[in-house]
Amino acid sequence: MKLAIVLLCVAVAAFAVQFGGYQGYGRYQPAPTNERAEFAWSRLQYDPAVGSSGGFGGYGYGFRRGRRGLWSTDYPKADRTFLDALKRLTRINARSYEQPVSLSTDDVFNYPFLYAVQVQSWTFTPPQAQKLHDYLLKGGFLMVDDFHGTADWDNFMLGMRMVFPNRPVVDLPDNDEIFHVLYNLDDKFQVPGEQFVNTGRTYEKDGYVPKWRAIRDDDGRVMVAICHNMHLGDAWEWADSPQYPEKFAGMAFRIGVNYVMYSMTH
Amino acid sequence: MFQLLFRYPPAAYARGHFVLLAAWPAWLLLVLIAAFAAALIWLLRRRWNSRTAAVWGLQSAVVAVILLLLWQPALAVSELQPEQNIVAVLVDDSRSMALPNAAADSGPTREQAALNSLQSSLLPALRRKYQTRVFSFDSKIARVADAGGLSQIKPAAPATRIQDSLRQLLDQTGSLPLGAVVLLSDGADAGVDAATMAALAARHIPIHTVGFGSLQPPRDVSLDDVELPAEALAKSRVQATVRVRQNGFASQHATLTVRSGNAVLASQPITLPPDGQTATVPVMFNAGPAAPKTIAFDLSPLPGESNRADNTQSRLLNVVTRSQRVLYIEGEPRWEYKFIRRAEAKDAQVQLVSMVRATQNKIYRQGISDPAELADGFPTRAQDLFRYQALIIGSVEAAYFTPLQQDLIQAFAERRGGGILFLGGQYSLADGGWADSSMAPLLPLTLPSHKGTFVRADLGPDSNNGRKNATAALTSFGGSSIVTRLVDDPAANARKWRGLPFLMDYQDAGTPKPGATVLADILAPDGRTLPLLTVENYGRGRTAVLATSGTWRWQMNLPLGDPSHDLFWNQLVRWLAAPTPGQLAARISPSVLYDSGAAHLTADVRDAEYNPAVAVPALTAHIQQPNGTAVDAPLQASPQNPGEFSADFNASLPGPYLATINAPGFGQTTVSFERFDGVAENFHTEQNRDLLQRLARQTGGEYWQPAQAAELAAAIPYSNAGIATQQNLPLWNLPLNFLLLLLLPLAEWFLRRKWGVV
Repeated sequence: MKLAIVLLCVAVAAFAVQFGGYQGYGRYQPAPTNERAEFAWSRLQYDPAVGSSGGFGGYGYGFRRGRRGLWSTDYPKADRTFLDALKRLTRINARSYEQPVSLSTDDVFNYPFLYAVQVQSWTFTPPQAQKLHDYLLKGGFLMVDDFHGTADWDNFMLGMRMVFPNRPVVDLPDNDEIFHVLYNLDDKFQVPGEQFVNTGRTYEKDGYVPKWRAIRDDDGRVMVAICHNMHLGDAWEWADSPQYPEKFAGMAFRIGVNYVMYSMTH
Repeated sequence: MFQLLFRYPPAAYARGHFVLLAAWPAWLLLVLIAAFAAALIWLLRRRWNSRTAAVWGLQSAVVAVILLLLWQPALAVSELQPEQNIVAVLVDDSRSMALPNAAADSGPTREQAALNSLQSSLLPALRRKYQTRVFSFDSKIARVADAGGLSQIKPAAPATRIQDSLRQLLDQTGSLPLGAVVLLSDGADAGVDAATMAALAARHIPIHTVGFGSLQPPRDVSLDDVELPAEALAKSRVQATVRVRQNGFASQHATLTVRSGNAVLASQPITLPPDGQTATVPVMFNAGPAAPKTIAFDLSPLPGESNRADNTQSRLLNVVTRSQRVLYIEGEPRWEYKFIRRAEAKDAQVQLVSMVRATQNKIYRQGISDPAELADGFPTRAQDLFRYQALIIGSVEAAYFTPLQQDLIQAFAERRGGGILFLGGQYSLADGGWADSSMAPLLPLTLPSHKGTFVRADLGPDSNNGRKNATAALTSFGGSSIVTRLVDDPAANARKWRGLPFLMDYQDAGTPKPGATVLADILAPDGRTLPLLTVENYGRGRTAVLATSGTWRWQMNLPLGDPSHDLFWNQLVRWLAAPTPGQLAARISPSVLYDSGAAHLTADVRDAEYNPAVAVPALTAHIQQPNGTAVDAPLQASPQNPGEFSADFNASLPGPYLATINAPGFGQTTVSFERFDGVAENFHTEQNRDLLQRLARQTGGEYWQPAQAAELAAAIPYSNAGIATQQNLPLWNLPLNFLLLLLLPLAEWFLRRKWGVV
């Protein structure tokens, strides 16, 4: 109930910012550079793989990726909406604005939490792969989201295997600590993108079943949290839409908050 | 020369006092002297100038001398009766007396020089007037037969214990008229205690000491002392402090090696200090697996060293496995929290139990032993909080803790003996209202009076270049602290710290209090130098402030595999927790025994709230001896200090001892100690003239060089000991008096001639 009230407040605030719709390209102000906080929501900027639709176009409407590439799907509204919820629901001192981070510089090591989307389209140069490898083993945390079906998985793993050639990918059981660090997420369900509003489908491509998976470090901690066959970013982005079901947005916020809390405690 | 003028030896004047034997009162003398002087002034008043003043002075002095002689001055002094008193002669026969008497390696030994002095001059002179008894002494005395006995004295005893020897002498001669003691020694001893000095003073026995051995230290390097904790956790870094002294090898280099058995634990070059000075050298090594161990410290010998036996010392180290439980409360989810937990997860002997305020009304607990632990939040009972050995307080406002909890936190350090670490943060220190809280005395710094002291890093462009952000730097104290030692070599360690990535945040923690030590500084981007890591002993425990929550950036920005961040936290947390005592704690004094077995064992028993325990079953120390046998020593309760029990124990055998004390309901503890025989003789082999002079001075005797031995016999008679009579030695017939009566008028005549009035 409390979460619903929060979401309503967030929706009202976001509504006021958007001036009545979800087509507010340009409504969001550029991220100021003078806000300093403990936690910054860091979105991974990656190079698109050859053959991926990482350039123009794509589906959906509203303020999405424009000309920046698939890494910027739902950016920055999803990020900022999620940050509003994170700040409201926890004592995390979070920055109000997102932080794009590239593996081409060492700046990534200042942000121990990374979020990446549409990762079926990512690829890395050897130095970038080594950097991400080191980042994760030193204590960094990567959350990937919004990729669906078998083909997307295979392409995602092509990039992941450049970072960790041999580490296994495991399913996260319901009793894993990541699902109980703040909220108890015993009953999880597939969180669809905003296409659900028009299609009624919770899945995209052949991603019928949601998969919560992970790559663990040598001590069993989750360092790569894989949200396959779901679209949490869209749920955050469209949480203020009356058409988008609250239950999906609520679940997406809970998962996101749990993942962030886990990354800051493990 | 002295006796030529003063007729009697200096000893007579030192022990006697001035008297006037005439029947007239002493004040009359003063009146007459003053009257004459005044009359002369009256006569000369009209022509008073510097010349008349000089004449007046000389004439007054002549009259004063004559008047003084009329009053029959004398020296009242007690003098031993010849043939009725005994003089005890003690000759040191410890191993140090086998060293050469002079600085050169060749020539007679100290023992030979002492015996030669005795036989050639001292004994014959003493025997003319007194009975003499000769003893050899080391830790005990032994009577030497007069006929040919001196040749039987061999310098082979392992230790010199002047105190014990004098005690025995007093006991053996209690009924004898002992007039004086002559002690021939090099003084290689720790000293004489006050009780023995008091016993000597009660019998008024002067001790005349004759010193042998060179006053100049030989060309030698000496490993004088080693300070090593009595206990260490298994696989932890241990720091020992070694004191090195040398003479003749200034600025040269030696190698200090630390061994346990055949295993070399550490080896490092050291630069020797200037001649006669002591250098303090820290050395670190890994304690290794749990077991009692003898750690040997060895200095490599240098060419030309006269004595190599003093290059080695050993100490006992009890390495234990004991889980340290540390409670960490964090007021908000922070990256530092995560990385501290990750670092401590690598330390098998630290159990980090943490609670973080995830939301306004939810606390996330980690590392708990059971679901009930901390279920109600921060402990509110002493027995719950005192289960931990250390406490880490993160970004938590002081007001978060109730008054009861605040009292408990103070008692945690003061009474329980635990360690408390405060971290920087937006709700910490001054920004968290700690300056005005009742817990402010816990902090080793005086916090600023203003808020806004917490500053986060600037991650904008060029944040890594120049000085846009705060970095850490070691202080001189931090350079020798085990907490901040990231690499063993001190110079490399300092470079390592200078090369650490900038901190993700820093906080102005104020000014260190007296007694606090700053181990590392913050070099702030505004040019200020602020304390970063400050430590202090508090009550039975210790407190520290780490004015940042941004060390996690070291872990993320150093190369993968660099252990600096984790090592720093492991060492800091161990420093915080390891010394925390249990409900039963024991100590032994001294822990290193040299040539003596007298040790005092003390046990401190506390209840669950760490108040002195009142209902304690009988305590017994089970002591393993070097020969494999064990003895039990019952401990007696102290009537003055509740909860304290003690026992005296005599470690009769050289070697290591391990005492175990078990108190059901309170726990078990062990303490180790070791006796070394014949080791102290190897150190400080130059003549200990200070000790010999002090011994003589405090007993009314004198210190003599061997060449003055003949004069010593003349100083013996003046003593209050033995059979003595009070003598009044006349002073009117001193040659000095006649000389004055001649020289004073001559001086006046000379002046008059000079002025042309004669």
